[in-house]
Amino acid sequence: MKLLNRFLGYAILTFFAIVFLYPFVIQIANSFKTEADAAAHPLSPVPSPFTTDSVVRIFEGTGFPTWLGNSVLVAVVVTLSRVLFGSMAGYALSRLRFRGRKFLFALLIALMAVPPVVLLIPKFLVLNQLGMYDSYAALIVPLLADATGVFIMKQFFDSVPVSVEEAARIDGAGAFRTFWSVVLPMARPALIAVTILMFTGVWNEFPHTLVAVQDPGLFTLPRGLADLVSGSLGAGTQYPLKLGAALLATIPVAIIFVVFQRYFVRDAAEGADKG
Amino acid sequence: MTSRKLLAAVLAGSLVAVSACGSGFDDDKSTTQQSAGPADLQIMIASSGDAETKAVQAAAAEWASGSGNKATIIPAQDIVQQLGQGLAGSNPPDVFYVDAARFADYASVGALDPYAQGLAGSDAFLPNLRQSFTYDGKLYCLPKDTSTLALQINTGLWQKAGLTDADVPTTWDQLRATAEKIKAKGITPLAIGDTRDRIGAFLVQAGGWWVSPDGKQATADTPQNEQALTYVQGLLKDGLAKYPKALDAGWAGEAFGKGKVAMTIEGNWIKGALSADFPDIKYKVVELPAGPKGKGTLSFTQCWGIAAKSKFKQQAVAFVQAMTTADEQLGFAKAFGVMPSRQDAQASYQQQYPDDAPFVAGARYAQGPVNAPKMDSVLADLDAGLQGLQNGDPKAVLQRFDKNAKSALGG
Amino acid sequence: MALSRRAPSTRSGERVAGWLFVAPVVIVLGLFMLLPILMALWVSLTRWNGQGSPFTGDVPFAGAGNYTRLFTDEGLTRQDFMTSIRNNAYYVFFVVPIQTVLALGLAVIVNKRKAFFRSAFYFPSVTSSVAISVVFLFMFANGGAINAILSVFGISGPQWFSDPRGVIHLFLDSIGLVDVNAPPSALADHGVLGLSWWDWTSGPSVAMCAIISLVVWTTSGTFMLMYLAALQNVPVQLEEAGMIDGASRWQRFRYITLPALRPTTFLVVTLGLIGTWQVFDQIYVMSQGNPAKTTLTPAFLSYRTAFRDFDYGTGAAISFVLFLIIVVLTLFQRWLTRERG
Repeated sequence: MKLLNRFLGYAILTFFAIVFLYPFVIQIANSFKTEADAAAHPLSPVPSPFTTDSVVRIFEGTGFPTWLGNSVLVAVVVTLSRVLFGSMAGYALSRLRFRGRKFLFALLIALMAVPPVVLLIPKFLVLNQLGMYDSYAALIVPLLADATGVFIMKQFFDSVPVSVEEAARIDGAGAFRTFWSVVLPMARPALIAVTILMFTGVWNEFPHTLVAVQDPGLFTLPRGLADLVSGSLGAGTQYPLKLGAALLATIPVAIIFVVFQRYFVRDAAEGADKG
Repeated sequence: MTSRKLLAAVLAGSLVAVSACGSGFDDDKSTTQQSAGPADLQIMIASSGDAETKAVQAAAAEWASGSGNKATIIPAQDIVQQLGQGLAGSNPPDVFYVDAARFADYASVGALDPYAQGLAGSDAFLPNLRQSFTYDGKLYCLPKDTSTLALQINTGLWQKAGLTDADVPTTWDQLRATAEKIKAKGITPLAIGDTRDRIGAFLVQAGGWWVSPDGKQATADTPQNEQALTYVQGLLKDGLAKYPKALDAGWAGEAFGKGKVAMTIEGNWIKGALSADFPDIKYKVVELPAGPKGKGTLSFTQCWGIAAKSKFKQQAVAFVQAMTTADEQLGFAKAFGVMPSRQDAQASYQQQYPDDAPFVAGARYAQGPVNAPKMDSVLADLDAGLQGLQNGDPKAVLQRFDKNAKSALGG
Repeated sequence: MALSRRAPSTRSGERVAGWLFVAPVVIVLGLFMLLPILMALWVSLTRWNGQGSPFTGDVPFAGAGNYTRLFTDEGLTRQDFMTSIRNNAYYVFFVVPIQTVLALGLAVIVNKRKAFFRSAFYFPSVTSSVAISVVFLFMFANGGAINAILSVFGISGPQWFSDPRGVIHLFLDSIGLVDVNAPPSALADHGVLGLSWWDWTSGPSVAMCAIISLVVWTTSGTFMLMYLAALQNVPVQLEEAGMIDGASRWQRFRYITLPALRPTTFLVVTLGLIGTWQVFDQIYVMSQGNPAKTTLTPAFLSYRTAFRDFDYGTGAAISFVLFLIIVVLTLFQRWLTRERG
C-alpha cells in the first residue's frame, strides 16, 4: 500500500513535470527542424533532418544581434542602478531618521500597487513631453528605480541588528562611507536576491519598450521577438525561426535560474510574506 | 506634513516645467527648421514582404549614394501604430507609406506635407489614384503604385482534381461548383483573407458596397450586400473556402504557396511573395468570377507621404521623385508585382507582363477603399464581424456596420 | 528611540543623508510614475488626437465625456469596452480557480520530495512572457502539438486562434439547449450596456481558452511556492494527532491542512485576481484581440485605442477604469492580509 502510494505520487509528479517541461523540449527541438518537418511533426523531440538553418537566419536575416545588444545594455545598466538606488533608499528608510520618511514609505507601498499596464499611455506622454521618446534614454531612464527593490532592501535592513554600523558611525565615518564600506558588504545575500530579481524582470520587460521606442535599432529582445511573431504579410509562419529566437532570448534567464535556484525560491516565498 | 507639501510642490513644479518645455517646440506645426545639404532620411514602409523590402532598400541605397544623402528604410510591422507614436512624439519618419484608407486621417490633422500640389510632373499619375490622395482640393502625395484583386489557381492541384481550363470559374455558381469538385478530391478549394479587403470584392460583384459613392452615407444593410455575405458564408460553412488562420497560414498567399489550397484571392503582391518564398509553385491568374451584377474587384494604393515635421523636405521630395520615375516603378513591378501608378509606365507594364492582364483588367472596374476620416475603428469592428462570419448572421454584421459608421460619419 | 543620545549635528546630518539616499528613487519614480499618472488623468479629460503637445490650449476639453462613452453612451466605444470587460471577466473566472487549485495540488505532491520538481514547475514563471507566448502559438497551431495530442484520443482539435465561439455557447449547443448559429431571440435581441444577453453569456472563446491555459501554466509555479512555504508551517503536532485518530489521508488534508492554509489561499486568490486583470503581453503577441474581439481585454483595448486609433483620451480613460478595478482588488487584498497579521 505504502509502496503503491509512493509510486502513484511519483507518477503524478512525473506527469506534471512533463506538462511543465515538454513545451521547452518542443521549443528546442523545433528550433532545429526544417519548416516542413516542424509543421508535420510538431511533437517529435528529434529534428529530422537536423538543421541550424534557422539559427543562421536569426543572426543574418533579422535584427536579432541588435536586439541582443540592446537587451544586454538595458538589463545591465538598469539592474546595477536598481540595486544601488534600491539599497540606498531601503537603507535610508530603515535606518536614517529624516522627516517624511514614514510618508515616503507609505507612498512606496502605494506605488508598488500601480499595475504596469495602466502606465503605458502615461509613460508615453511623459517621454514624449520630455523629448526623450524613441531614444536609449527612453528605454533606460524610466526603469532606473523600482519600488519593489527598495521594499525588499528595507525589509532586509529591518531584520539586521544595528550594532555593527552603529560602531562605524561612532567612529565618525560619514553616512555614505558607512553605507558603502560597512552596510553594503553585510547585505550581500539580499543584494544577490534583488540583483537576480531585477535582472530577470528587466530582461523580460516588454510593455515599456512598446511605448518608449519605435525605431527597430532600439528594440530589445522581447520587443523584437513580438514584432517577429506578429509577422508581416508574406513573412510566413516560419516557426523554427521564431522558436529559435525565443529560445535564444530565454537562455540567459535559464542559466541564471539554474545557478541561483535557491534565491528564486526565496524571492517567491518573500512575496508571500510581504503580501 | 511639510514633506508632503514639499513633494506636492516639487511635482507641481516639474509638471509645469515639463509642459512648458514641451509646448516650446510643439506648437508651430508649419515652420519646422529646414536643413539643406546631405540629409539623413528615415523612410518607413509597410512592406508586403521581403521582396518589397529588399527592392525598396536597394533603390534607396542607389539614390543615397548617387545624391550624397543617407536613406534608412524602416520596415514597419504595424505602420499605423508606429507612425502614430512617431507623430505624437513629434518624431515621425521623413517619408512613409500612406494607405488610401488612412490618408484622410493623416491629412485632416496636418501630419502630411502637401508637397505634391503643383509639383512638376504630378499629372503623369493616374487620375483616379491622384483623387485618392487629394484632401481639401490639394494633392498631398504621389501614388506609389496600385494593385487589384484577382483569382489565383494552382495549376498542379487543378489537374490533380481533374479540372481543365474549361472549369475556370467565371460566375459565382461556377466558383461553387468547381470548389465542390475540388473538395471531393480532398483538396481545400479556396483560401480567402478574413477582412473587408478581400470579402468586399463579393459585395461589388453583387452590386453593393459598404458606403455610398460620395463616402458620406453608410449603405451596408442592403439585399445586395446580404446576398454577397450569405454566399461567402455558404462557402465557409461547406468547407469550400477557408480563412488563412484555419490553414495555419499568416495570409492566404502563404496557404496558397504551400500548396494547401487550389485557389486564392489576392492582389498583385502575391507574385513577388510567391517567387521569393515558394519559387516552385505553378499557378495562373484569372479575373475574379462575376457576381449577380457583373464583374467586381477591389483596388489598393498607397502614396509616398512626407511628414509636415520633416527637417529634410527638399531632399525628401527629391527622394520620392526618384522612387516614382517610370523606370523605378517598372523595377518595383518586376520585384514585387505591383502595377505602376504612372500612365506612361502602365503602358509598358502591360506589354512586359501579359500574364498580369487580369490585374490590369480589374483596374477598370475596381472599387477603391472606404476613404473617410475616423472610420478605422468602425472598419476594424467590421473585420471582427467578418472573422466570425462562418457562424454569424450576415445581416447583423451589416446592420452593426451601418450603426457604427453612421455615428463616425456624423450622418 | 534614543534620539537624545546623539549630537544634534549627527541628526541634521542624517536628515540630509536620508534625503540624499532616497533622492534617486524619488526622482525617477516621481518623474516616471506619479507625474505621468497626473498627465494621463488630464489627457483622459481631453480629445487629444496625438498631434503636438496635449498640454496646450488648442486641445479640445471633453470633461467626463470619455468616461461616459464607456458606460452610458450608446456606441462602438462602449460596445468594445464592455466586450473587453466580458472577455477579461471570463478569463479571470477560469484562470484564478484553476491556477489556485493546481498550485495547491502541486505544492502538496512536491512537498518533501525532490527539489528538481519544484524547480521544474517554477521555471515557466521566470521566462519571458513574449518568448513563452511564441512557444504556445506554435503548440496551439491547427496542425500543432496540442491538436496532435488530442487526435491520439480521437478528438479533432479546434482551430484555436481563429475560433471566436464561446465555450458556454458550445456547451449549451452540444447538450441541445441552443443552436450556436441561431441564438434564441430572447437572449440575442435584448441586452444591457451595449451587449446582448447572448453576448454576455458566451463564456471565453476557444481562442481565449488557449491563452488561459498558457497563463495557468506559467503562473501556477509561483503560487505553488507560496503554498510550499505555508506548508512548512503547518504544525506537525496537528498532523500527528490526525494520524493517531486514524483519520484517512484525505480527511487529514481536508480538515487539518486545508484550514491551516486558508490565509495563503486568500493571498493566492487575491494576487491572482489582481494579476489577471492586467493581462497584456500574451494578448499582444498571440491574438491582438482577435478573433472577432473575443480576446480583447481592457489593457489591450486601452493601448489600441490610444496608439492605433489616436484616441488618447478614451485610451487613458480605459486605463483609469482598469486602474480603479485593480486598486479596489488590491485594497481588498491588503485588508485581508492585515486581518491575518
